[in-house]
Amino acid sequence: MSNIHAALEIGTTRTVLAIGETHNGGRLKITCHAEIPSTGVRKSQILDISQATQSIRSVLKEIENRHDALGSKITIANAILAVSGQHVSATHAEGNAVVEGAKVGDDEINEAQRRAREMPLPKGRELLDIIDQDYAVDGLGGITSPKGMSGRMLKLNTLLLHADSNRIQDAKTAAESAHLEISEPLFAATCAADAVLEEHERRNGVLLLDIGGGSTGYAAYSDGCLADAGVIGVGGDHITNDIAYAFRTTNAQAEKLKIEEASAILGQYTTENSRVKLTGSSALMESRSISRRSLDTVVNARLKELFTIIRETLEEKDLLHRMHAGLVLTGGGAGMREIDIVASNELGLETRIGKPLHVDGLEDSPNPWAFSAIAGALLYSQRTTEEKSVLSDLFGRFFK
Amino acid sequence: MTGTTHPILLLGVGTAGSRIARGVRRAFGESMRCVLTDTDASSGLDGEEFVLLGGDRLSGRGAGGDPIAARLAAEDSLQALDPKIEGVRLAVIVTALGGGTGSGATLEIIKHLSNLGIATIVFATTPFLFEGEDRMRTSRGVMSLIEQEANSVFFLPLDKLVGSEDVMEVAMKRAVDTLASGVSLFWRLIQKPGYIRLDADRIRRLMIDSGRGRFAFVTVQGPDRASEAVDKLMNSELLAIASSPVNAILCGVLAGEDLRLSELGRIADGVRESFGEHVSFELGTVNDEKAFCGRICVVVMIFESIQKSEKLSGAGVGGNRRARGAKAASGLSAAVDRGRFSNAAPTIWHGEDLDVPTFIRRNINLDF
Repeated sequence: MSNIHAALEIGTTRTVLAIGETHNGGRLKITCHAEIPSTGVRKSQILDISQATQSIRSVLKEIENRHDALGSKITIANAILAVSGQHVSATHAEGNAVVEGAKVGDDEINEAQRRAREMPLPKGRELLDIIDQDYAVDGLGGITSPKGMSGRMLKLNTLLLHADSNRIQDAKTAAESAHLEISEPLFAATCAADAVLEEHERRNGVLLLDIGGGSTGYAAYSDGCLADAGVIGVGGDHITNDIAYAFRTTNAQAEKLKIEEASAILGQYTTENSRVKLTGSSALMESRSISRRSLDTVVNARLKELFTIIRETLEEKDLLHRMHAGLVLTGGGAGMREIDIVASNELGLETRIGKPLHVDGLEDSPNPWAFSAIAGALLYSQRTTEEKSVLSDLFGRFFK
Repeated sequence: MTGTTHPILLLGVGTAGSRIARGVRRAFGESMRCVLTDTDASSGLDGEEFVLLGGDRLSGRGAGGDPIAARLAAEDSLQALDPKIEGVRLAVIVTALGGGTGSGATLEIIKHLSNLGIATIVFATTPFLFEGEDRMRTSRGVMSLIEQEANSVFFLPLDKLVGSEDVMEVAMKRAVDTLASGVSLFWRLIQKPGYIRLDADRIRRLMIDSGRGRFAFVTVQGPDRASEAVDKLMNSELLAIASSPVNAILCGVLAGEDLRLSELGRIADGVRESFGEHVSFELGTVNDEKAFCGRICVVVMIFESIQKSEKLSGAGVGGNRRARGAKAASGLSAAVDRGRFSNAAPTIWHGEDLDVPTFIRRNINLDF
């Protein structure tokens, strides 16, 4: 059984490749990761495949070089792909089965699952995941394990996560051109949830927001399972863009202002006349300064809007009031100063910044929340490899 | 096109303004449409089109350094200006602030032109520091008013135009010559044909949509002239005093037939990179083998955003006027830039394009 796993994320701001290994005790450790600024990607969408390929080649090379330096060769042939972008969406589906006997048995459960999975997706969509949410027997819902229950009709509620097949294919093409096969595409926000959420949080109801450069993915859990998921096409890049537009700076300067100077709430670091000096390559830029309060106002306006959209989305789906365990923020955008306070105010949920809990190797990272999705993708790879191994073991015993 | 029917007019106000205007016309040539105005009749003795301001009130002897007398003189004579500005759509006004006529008459003339629907671009010098606090105060007082009234304003501190070690007489002459050269270069840019031409309407639109400006120019020669020009410009004191965000840049490259595409690219990239990707950028060239053989001259005008008073934000004054401060908050005009998202599929939420900055869509005013 292979205990080495690879996961790739082609984000708007950075391309990341991470390697994880199963260590003693079965715990996953991220042994190596490489990241470089992405080019040819906007709003989580690849606009230039050759540039994306070059980014993937670079991170592959970096990983290989690091292993070479340690005297251990590594060849990465395939990786899980963490997908984000507003082309990802979720659809509810159901599968029904008539209970032949007096009680629900395995046949009925399998039949309900089969029918739920038969629901056709719209043309041009690729399935990323199917989540069995709950069962209902004769209309009585919220059942997690219906086996043995009495009734005549079994219904399974599922959530289908799917994405634009062309966008997925673009990522695959870029990776394949760099000699990296994509073994499976997964939704980045649910990957992040796998890495950072506690089981009790899912049971009590929790919302995860994975704030990337070009988009923000959300995953809402209730009663232990994924109740809804989706993507809002607004991310950290929008904050950068707003700052650049407001203060007529380059994107690089705006990014620096966002990371080093801006606060998501007003008045925290500002006095009435507090100013921030711009740094730039010319004497002209060096001579400029901007109002810190205006900078925070620009950031605050964008984040409040984002969280308002999330709130309205969840209220529409009658989910917000079920998020008793609060809100967890992940992704690069979660590093924004005081973002948790704005999120908490706008959504009315207790908020924490999520760090991968179920993997080792990120202890020294200054921004572990930014690796949540990729950590979750590695965990998925580890889990499925183990499951395949168990199956293969079973087959081996039967057919030897 | 003849000098008398051209839609762009150079207007010199006051003695110093008239001197600068004459310098510009000398540098550019007779085809330039030019009118001089002053309270001192001696400014009109060299055959230029001339309007004496307040002849009955001041008898052509000048305002004696009194801006109020000059303002009244200008009010008296505005109608006399009308026949000279027939058909004009854009007036480039050169003036010197701190004294009497420049400080008092310029504002009245700008208002009058605005009321006639003529866009105004003002190049105004501000006094040397050694000229004293009184002149500085007069200058400061009128600067904000001119900003409110004119479509675009370029204030040029005389201290920045000349070196502090120059002899007084030389310094004054050099300041006038420098400004005249700069304005004449700007004039060439909009008048002389080049491969990339800025026409008057384009300039007019740019300037009406912009605000207070800064202005600098350099002339260089040699093998690395493009990079040297950018370097000098970006370190120019005239641009370095910019303190507000830049809305737009107008960059003109004046050169002979030897101008290479790579040089043009280096200049455009160098200037644009220094101000950020969101700034509106207009480039024009002038090819004049006789004037610029072996040399290139780069003119940069940057336009800053300024806050105009609410009083002026309504329509009417000058036809196309609106508050600069309201520009950012004026809602989603077609011109709003989606910035780096311009090539990506838009994010629409309840009919709003979320790629457009939130502070613009929410009409949030920022102080810079």
